[in-house]
Amino acid sequence: MSAILGEQAAPSDRQPQVALFPFLKLIGVRPVSKQSSHIFSEDAVIMALGTLWLLSYFGVRFYLESNPDLARGARIGLAFIPTPIFALFLWRFIQGIRSADELERRIQLEGLAVAFPLGVLLLTTLGLVQRATELKFEDWSYNHVWPMFVIFYIFGQAFARKRYQ
Amino acid sequence: MKNGLKVLRAELNWSQAELADRVGVSRQTINAIETGKYDPSLPLAFALSRLFAKPLESIFFPNGDGV
Repeated sequence: MSAILGEQAAPSDRQPQVALFPFLKLIGVRPVSKQSSHIFSEDAVIMALGTLWLLSYFGVRFYLESNPDLARGARIGLAFIPTPIFALFLWRFIQGIRSADELERRIQLEGLAVAFPLGVLLLTTLGLVQRATELKFEDWSYNHVWPMFVIFYIFGQAFARKRYQ
Repeated sequence: MKNGLKVLRAELNWSQAELADRVGVSRQTINAIETGKYDPSLPLAFALSRLFAKPLESIFFPNGDGV
């Protein structure tokens, strides 16, 4: 708070001002950054957790597809393996957002304001298409929908960030 | 809302990064304020006012439409 009020605080006393936005980094969009060395470590943790979740997701998915004869309970149990990893990722990600400065938080909000309606549009349209015709699991399923949310998030972030550049 | 932040900063020969560091925000935030793309929150506006030792209304002033 002292930094916000303009008092001189030692750099080590300050909270990192910038959250990590790993998906943006994947496409080379530079996040708002003030203390790069501090941010990097926070970014690295969140990036590592995000990567770990992706690896666990695709690992479980591959295993389930390769072993269709597994018992139902075991299959369901395996399906939940990525969940705690994502929860940890989310926890650190929210921490990053909370420590971001006010413009970065605005950008996050505006990015989500774009991404969320696009997600709703996708789901409602898919629901109608599914009523209109039969969709094959291989063509369109939850496996294919969630990456679209990531893309919407990236698009919303880039759109909002460009506005303030 | 317009502002005279860039002039005040130049008078003190501060970079955007230096000013950002003094008020605890990112350089991008200072840049967005200076270019009029972002209106700062009241706490940040007061922090800038305090830093430059000038009243708010001499740093920030409304556009022609009063906003």
